[in-house]
Amino acid sequence: MNSSLRPVLLPILTFVFLILAWQMITVGFQVPEFLLPRPTSIIAAALRLGWPLLTVHAAATLETILLGFIISALVAVPLGVMLAANKLASEALYPLLIFTHAIPVIAIAPIVVVSVGTGLNARLIVVTLISFFPIMVSTATGILNAPGDMLDLGRTVGASKWQRIATIAFPHAIPFIFNGFRIGIVGSVIGAVVGEFVSANSGLGYLVVRSTSDFDVPAAMVCVIILAIISVTLYQLTTIVQALISPWAPHGRE
Amino acid sequence: MLISDRKAADRAQATYPDGTREAVRFDFVSIIFQARDGREVLAVDNVDLRIMQKEFVALVGPSGCGKSTLLRSVAGLVNPSKGDVRVNANDGLTGFARVAVVFQAATLLPWKTVLGNLLYPVKFGTRKPGVDYMERARELLAMVGLERFADAYPSELSGGMQQRVAICRALILDPDILLMDEPFSALDALTREELQFELRRIHQTTGKTILFVTHSMSESVLLADRIVVMAAHPGRIKDDFRVDLPAQRDASTLDLPEFATHVKRVRDGIYGETRGVKR
Repeated sequence: MNSSLRPVLLPILTFVFLILAWQMITVGFQVPEFLLPRPTSIIAAALRLGWPLLTVHAAATLETILLGFIISALVAVPLGVMLAANKLASEALYPLLIFTHAIPVIAIAPIVVVSVGTGLNARLIVVTLISFFPIMVSTATGILNAPGDMLDLGRTVGASKWQRIATIAFPHAIPFIFNGFRIGIVGSVIGAVVGEFVSANSGLGYLVVRSTSDFDVPAAMVCVIILAIISVTLYQLTTIVQALISPWAPHGRE
Repeated sequence: MLISDRKAADRAQATYPDGTREAVRFDFVSIIFQARDGREVLAVDNVDLRIMQKEFVALVGPSGCGKSTLLRSVAGLVNPSKGDVRVNANDGLTGFARVAVVFQAATLLPWKTVLGNLLYPVKFGTRKPGVDYMERARELLAMVGLERFADAYPSELSGGMQQRVAICRALILDPDILLMDEPFSALDALTREELQFELRRIHQTTGKTILFVTHSMSESVLLADRIVVMAAHPGRIKDDFRVDLPAQRDASTLDLPEFATHVKRVRDGIYGETRGVKR
């Protein structure tokens, strides 16, 4: 096999093999559809649900994911910078923030619905609760990681503390922040689905709940697969955006 | 404005009868650090030293002798615990226009191009009216033979090229005083020698006061007009003498018999007392 194609072809072959094995086992042992659907019935379910229905629900979920992620980033990045820059703020807020992160979000989701209603807001709160923390911590870590000699340079050229943060520590923290974004965006997908479980009348999470209550497991699996594709795509997109805004990094890697 | 600056200004710029002027003045400076375990470490002990304008002074000594600490106190990165460090720069100058630093690592900002790095001190320090700093940056790059790399990122440059950029960055605001903290110690021997002669040439053409910290005895003799030898534990001055070599230095300087004599004097200054003593 050509060595340059191998990294692409090998996982595809493995994937095809696993799907085939799955199909053969479920058919061979006559596994009931509602326990583990066959790959062919999942494809059939996708066709049955149809493109228009799936895109409507996927779009609703995507809206929650992206809005929630953007809110998280807008809250978490400045907060992370502040925590890193200000000892007082860090001492006052950090234990509290750790506590909010320690709350199992799935447990709090129904409470959020009771408090703020069943609309988009409830789902956005759930998403933000999951994804803001990793972004904030990565930002603070990146700021605190700024090399001492670079900060010394900033001091000697006459930059104030906030100027040093803006021109040295923050640019230095960008790869860290993007690591936070990658964790945060995957968390946002989870948050959006959890939000839809407890309060929604559209979205892929809602569709999963509705399908499973009808024992239509193949339809639920279709939703799960679409969610996985959304998650991977957003993750990769984050990396691409990072490469675009940091042309100084060799080969666009962090 | 720092109080110490004002005091220095009050002293009529510390001009001597023969017309020479002080650039940096250490008045009985002691610097004490708090170690991690709470003990106090005397890094610099009672250093009294005057550095004249346009002088190229090497601070040489073993690690732990406080030479870098002394340099950092001039840059304002460390405050003396006792005594006073004064910089006789023109009033009101700030940042790299007053005192510019070249660190051991090039410390270029990786997200800025070479040109962007050169212009970084311009954002904060005192600018002279009517100077086109973009043009000046290009001239400085041409001086060190890097004009083609103006738009390159630091990661695309070799270590020697990076340190050349750092020297240009230190010169961008045309400071009177240049502080260099073992700037060539991370370079390979050939690049180091090349840059040493280049720095000497820059000193000859620009007439900057240079305070150069090194642990290399031959480097101190090759570069400096005056050598201050320091000893460790606590950091203090052991010897202070003029280098009696031609102002123009090149590879042939290394072969002069005086060169070896000077290196020996530095070596004696460093090892002199401790050589016979069991430690």
